[in-house]
Amino acid sequence: MTVHHHNKDLLEKLQKQFGKDIDAEILEDVSRHMKECPDCKIYVDSVQQTVKIYRVTETEKLVPEDVSERLFKTLKLHRNPS
Amino acid sequence: MKTPEYDETHLVEKAKAGDEWAIASIVEQQSHHIYNLALRLMQNQEDAEDVLQETFLIFIDKIQTFKGASSIGTWLYRIGTNVALGKLRAKDYIDRDISIHDPGFESLKGYEIRNWPDHPENELDPESFHSCLKKALKELSEDYRIVFVLRDLEGVSTNKTAEILNISVSNVKVRLMRARLFLRDQLAKKLKCVEKN
Repeated sequence: MTVHHHNKDLLEKLQKQFGKDIDAEILEDVSRHMKECPDCKIYVDSVQQTVKIYRVTETEKLVPEDVSERLFKTLKLHRNPS
Repeated sequence: MKTPEYDETHLVEKAKAGDEWAIASIVEQQSHHIYNLALRLMQNQEDAEDVLQETFLIFIDKIQTFKGASSIGTWLYRIGTNVALGKLRAKDYIDRDISIHDPGFESLKGYEIRNWPDHPENELDPESFHSCLKKALKELSEDYRIVFVLRDLEGVSTNKTAEILNISVSNVKVRLMRARLFLRDQLAKKLKCVEKN
């Protein structure tokens, strides 16, 4: 059985949960269902973990030197001595 | 204790008065935030550089109108987001209204995931894993990607994302869920923990 065979109400509840606007009653419904349904547990865990992985791996990069040079040139500014 | 030269309020006041040293300091301090935001939104270096340059051209042009209600970083962030949005809108990607009942939604959650690993990042070599993540984010269509970037990577609230994109809060949530499912499915396929389509 695939996840999309589960009822749409649950999906909408999960959507609300992921939106962080968590209503206690909805959360209780979802938690209860998750305990009984391994498919949904994997579904939620895998989505949450995917988001976490992206947060960890999408680290900030330094602006490449040539990009910085062109930025200051476009802005007609001199770079301050560091 | 901060020296007066590096205090943000002082820098901004000097920049508003046209002090080039202060303007250059703000550009130097803030450019990597805008560049990273632009890279995530545009998914290519050339467009990200255009967004970076346009953002700071607007900054210089409008600095005198900055009231200080938010930090200069937040103000620049908003300018950068709007510049990127303008470019994405020019490609007609952003403004579609999307419903959870849209038939396309079904195709995004057609995978059953089995044996999802505890640590997916250990299932592939680091280079393949990183390349898979980048590819999936690039393949995600812009109207979903922008919501995922703002909400999940940049930490912008649902309400603020709706306001920035000029769409409803429920549409932000629908797009975010679709984006997350798409990325999860791409990763699952790569990890070979997908049962069927």
